[in-house]
Amino acid sequence: MDINVKAGPKTEIRAFYLFFIISSLQLGVGIMGAPSIVFMESKQDSWISVLIAFLIIVFILFIMLYILKQYENTDIFGIQADVFGQWLGKLLGTVYIIYFLAVLFSVVTTYIDVVRVFIFPEVSPFLLALLLMSLVTYSVLGGFRVIVGVCFLFFILTHWILFLLIEPALEIDWTHLQPVMGASITELFKGAKATVYTLLGFEILFFVYPFIKNKEKVKLPVILAVGWTTVIILITVITSIGFFSPDQLMRREWPVLNLFKIQTFSFIERLDFVVVAGWMMVIVPNIVILMWGITYGMKRLYQIPQKKTLYIVSILLVIASAFMDNHFQIYSFTDIVARSGFWVGYIYPLLLLPLVLLKKRWRRKKGRGKGV
Amino acid sequence: MRKRRKQESSSLFPIKIDQFEKLLKSKFENNPDLSFSVYEHENKKAAVFYISYLVDLEKAEEFLLNLLLTMQKEWTNASIQNEIPLISGDATINKLEDILEKILLGTAFIYIEGEDSVVSYMMPNKEKRALTKAETESVVIGPQIAFTESLVTNLNVIRWSIRSTDLVMEKILLGKETIHEVRLIYLKSVANETDVNTMRERLKTLEVNSIDDSSVLAQYIEDSSASIFPQFYLTELPDRFAYTITQGRVGVIVENSPTAIIAPSTFLSFFESTEDLYMRWNTGSFLRILRFLSVFIAIFLTPMYVAAVTYHYEIIPSDLLISIGQSRAGVPFPPIFEALFLELMIELLREAGARLPTKVGQTIGIVGGVVVGTAAVQAGITSNILIIFITISALASFTAPSYLMGTTIRVLRFPMIILAGILGIVGIIFGICFLAIHLLKLTSLGRPYLTPIYPFQMKDLNKVLFRLPPNFQWRRFLSFQPKDTSRYDKTKAKKKKDIDE
Repeated sequence: MDINVKAGPKTEIRAFYLFFIISSLQLGVGIMGAPSIVFMESKQDSWISVLIAFLIIVFILFIMLYILKQYENTDIFGIQADVFGQWLGKLLGTVYIIYFLAVLFSVVTTYIDVVRVFIFPEVSPFLLALLLMSLVTYSVLGGFRVIVGVCFLFFILTHWILFLLIEPALEIDWTHLQPVMGASITELFKGAKATVYTLLGFEILFFVYPFIKNKEKVKLPVILAVGWTTVIILITVITSIGFFSPDQLMRREWPVLNLFKIQTFSFIERLDFVVVAGWMMVIVPNIVILMWGITYGMKRLYQIPQKKTLYIVSILLVIASAFMDNHFQIYSFTDIVARSGFWVGYIYPLLLLPLVLLKKRWRRKKGRGKGV
Repeated sequence: MRKRRKQESSSLFPIKIDQFEKLLKSKFENNPDLSFSVYEHENKKAAVFYISYLVDLEKAEEFLLNLLLTMQKEWTNASIQNEIPLISGDATINKLEDILEKILLGTAFIYIEGEDSVVSYMMPNKEKRALTKAETESVVIGPQIAFTESLVTNLNVIRWSIRSTDLVMEKILLGKETIHEVRLIYLKSVANETDVNTMRERLKTLEVNSIDDSSVLAQYIEDSSASIFPQFYLTELPDRFAYTITQGRVGVIVENSPTAIIAPSTFLSFFESTEDLYMRWNTGSFLRILRFLSVFIAIFLTPMYVAAVTYHYEIIPSDLLISIGQSRAGVPFPPIFEALFLELMIELLREAGARLPTKVGQTIGIVGGVVVGTAAVQAGITSNILIIFITISALASFTAPSYLMGTTIRVLRFPMIILAGILGIVGIIFGICFLAIHLLKLTSLGRPYLTPIYPFQMKDLNKVLFRLPPNFQWRRFLSFQPKDTSRYDKTKAKKKKDIDE
């Protein structure tokens, strides 16, 4: 396996699109339930927890970029192969792929669950999974540029949903957010850890980095993407805490979706229906990138054609989704994914950095030794 | 035909006139159209032959036969060319294939026995209609004429609208059995070379027996034949054609076809009308945005009704729900059948109106639209409100300046209604997602179909989504990477004036 990746001019993208890739992957199903999950840990100071999480992610992003800069043009698979050798590198790469698969599955099943709870209690999960996976297969077949296009276009097409939060935001009771700093430091950090599932997605940087044309401009879009996600989560968290009473908020699993009920127009009301259906457009780029990551990884590690992986994984996921119709099953699965995401997304880069630096130093020493 | 020419390259002449006549007649077996007459003068025999209705007969008699028969000198190729000095005179043809090719283009030939070539005079008589107003892309202001079926007339019109030596009109012959002349038109100082090369490549490598029309040619050379969306803009307006050529795109016109192909085209360009340019920028922008809005109305209004009434009546406010409920109370069908029935009726009306003569078509429109519509409601087959929605979406679908795109939009409604009938709003959103992904995947002449939305090009947005005052329009459309990116010097346009004292 080559450590460095050669991206052709057909697959190269501007760094500007990284903003859409990362924020599309971060904004998924997690945000629907984020406020109540954070609120359970850090109560009225949840917004501080979100900000802490943002700072931690920025720190990790810098580490990731620093790791990537040690190499010419590579992704996580190349780095792992270089640091751990072929065998262990392949094993760790497979872990990454399985992790992506798990996230993909949890996103699909959670969305199907939401649709079943809100709109069609009787609809078969098989049918919805089939619809979602056919969209994913269709777009992944278009190649990397189309996948980035899906992120970009759907990002723009879905952000009108934010305007529907204006009316509930006007009815915020600010006293719900007082007193500030009522939570202890451990509670704040626990709250920050609770946002893991919501904010995961920045690890895709390890995958798409070799495809970026102007690498010198990578930093800004990446930070902005995480910043934008944080802003949106802050808006939903503050609105939810201000709008619902603490008891109500604790009882709701997807408080953000409940917020959309408030907005009415003279020709349409109960916009939560529209939003839940429209949330498919938030989900699609999410699972499209994850699926791309899986097919790309399988190609990098085992030289399996991307089409083959794509078809097999899609069919398997559709079949598997048909059996995931129990709400608590899905809930506990998502919980496992969130916990493993904490290790893969947050802790792993921290562990990787010293190893990469050691390897570099060792190589330099070796090179110097040879030279002398 | 072109292949055969390569095989037989030896000269046919000199040949006896009787023999020659037999040979030619054998090529036009059972065709009484070949006129072959033999004349004698000073012991020399001459044959004059042509196809009578392809040649301008008056011209042939007055300038060819008259002069030939009253000639005092001996008949030779040289003397004939001297005495009958028509511009198209040519004495170099000596192969049967060339003669056959030319004779079908309206050429008259003189062959003098013993000479080693024939003298040809091109005097074609091509029947064509006069330039008329555009029918399918009618505009209120701006130039009104449309292309005709005659290639020469079309070339003439284009040359007069783009008076520049940069304008290239490459000639390419297409078709194996029947040959059609195709012109590849572009501005060589502006057009992107890759585009020109791709188009030339596609035209030259095309192998078909014949081309019926430019719209057929467009289907042959399109990027994706499976898609429902047209990937090349077909226009019958010379001003639109000239405008896009000066922008740096590539055009193709085909003999015997009154529509020109413009490539590459973007999805959004199908909603641009030249009228937007002739209007003031603000009204032009308004009309353009109205057209984009109408696409959404045309595709999603009826499906939304079907979805809401079938599954999600919660989203309809109660006052509105009462009136919808009242109007639907007597209707025995589920909304999806009701909607499909009415949409089908509108399509029937449109199709019947298009096939019938204008006067009858209007009557049918009134009978179908008003009488049947009212009767259907009174009979309790459909609801009033749905009729309003269907009519609005039908009107909206006709606002697209391109007839091809309008048809695409109308067809798209049917799968959308069915999706909405099966899965409600979720089905509609699925449809939107599918369409968006499909549009992202499409290309036109190898360039993304959805530019400048994706790949995103901020500076081009004022050309497709809306318009800005002229002094902001100094850039060309950058997404297609023209050679020359500016239309005029921006410094003068940007100069600010101070207050007059």
